[in-house]
Amino acid sequence: MTVPYEKIPFAGTVPSPQKENEGMITGNWRTRRPILDAEKCTSCQLCWISCPDSSINLGDETSSLTFNLKYCKGCGICNEVCPVGAISLVPELDFED
Amino acid sequence: MTSENLFEEPGLKQITVWARGVYENKEARDVVVALTEAAALEGKHVQAWENYVDLPDRIYVPVRAYGKISDQVIESRYVYENEVPDIVVLTEETLVKGIDILAGIKPGGVLVINTKRSAEYLLKFIKKDTLNLSRIVTVDANSLAKSIITLSGAEGATDASGIGKGMGAALAAAVVKATGIVEFDSLLKIVANKSAAKKAYDQAVVYDYVKTLTKVI
Repeated sequence: MTVPYEKIPFAGTVPSPQKENEGMITGNWRTRRPILDAEKCTSCQLCWISCPDSSINLGDETSSLTFNLKYCKGCGICNEVCPVGAISLVPELDFED
Repeated sequence: MTSENLFEEPGLKQITVWARGVYENKEARDVVVALTEAAALEGKHVQAWENYVDLPDRIYVPVRAYGKISDQVIESRYVYENEVPDIVVLTEETLVKGIDILAGIKPGGVLVINTKRSAEYLLKFIKKDTLNLSRIVTVDANSLAKSIITLSGAEGATDASGIGKGMGAALAAAVVKATGIVEFDSLLKIVANKSAAKKAYDQAVVYDYVKTLTKVI
């Protein structure tokens, strides 16, 4: 079978996974939970770009960004990159949920 | 596990230590190695090893280290996970949340937690098997010694940093205080950080647990 080179898909472009693997849920790795101060947030999206687990959902005009705590490992990169200090890390056991 | 216990050994005590990957790997290993080496000094049969199934080198991933101490020859020496632990140790308090840390714990089991918080508060997060517990111990090991972050001693290599150099020594001392599994003097001969072990032996708070908590020491 021959495939013309124009038909070959560009390398690395795979659809994002649609199914969850229960063994790969990483929320229980977290020792510190990121908390957003929506007043300070400038929606620069640096945290969204930097998050290694894609656990930050961008808000729109009416809502601020949220964290996907099912997968957030609490690495703290969002806290490090935030230029205005809008994301703080709070010990996970301060929350009862 | 089958309903029939193939390896029922009356003299055998199993120790399971839960820790966070990479930055507490050595401390988890040190707790079991210090306790088993101390038991070996007393002429017991011992084993200490780490869980091979856990993802060992990812930061914050829950990992386990195991120890076995027995009066007799350990028949189940090739069983590579502790399925029915007697003692469970957490090197970090957040491990109570979202992880089945007490899985398979025997009736009369002991839980040791490295924390500043109260045992009452932490118990709220543990959903399963708490009725098998007889004692809960809290000790603030982080205030007594640091966690040593090193790959020395990982995967069977020689540990150049010394057994019980960090806060693992304090946790091992808390285990000894609550269970008396070895003599405290034997433990002191093994661990490098003797001052942390002594302070933890004094400061560890021991609670008896029979459906509710009672502070005893």
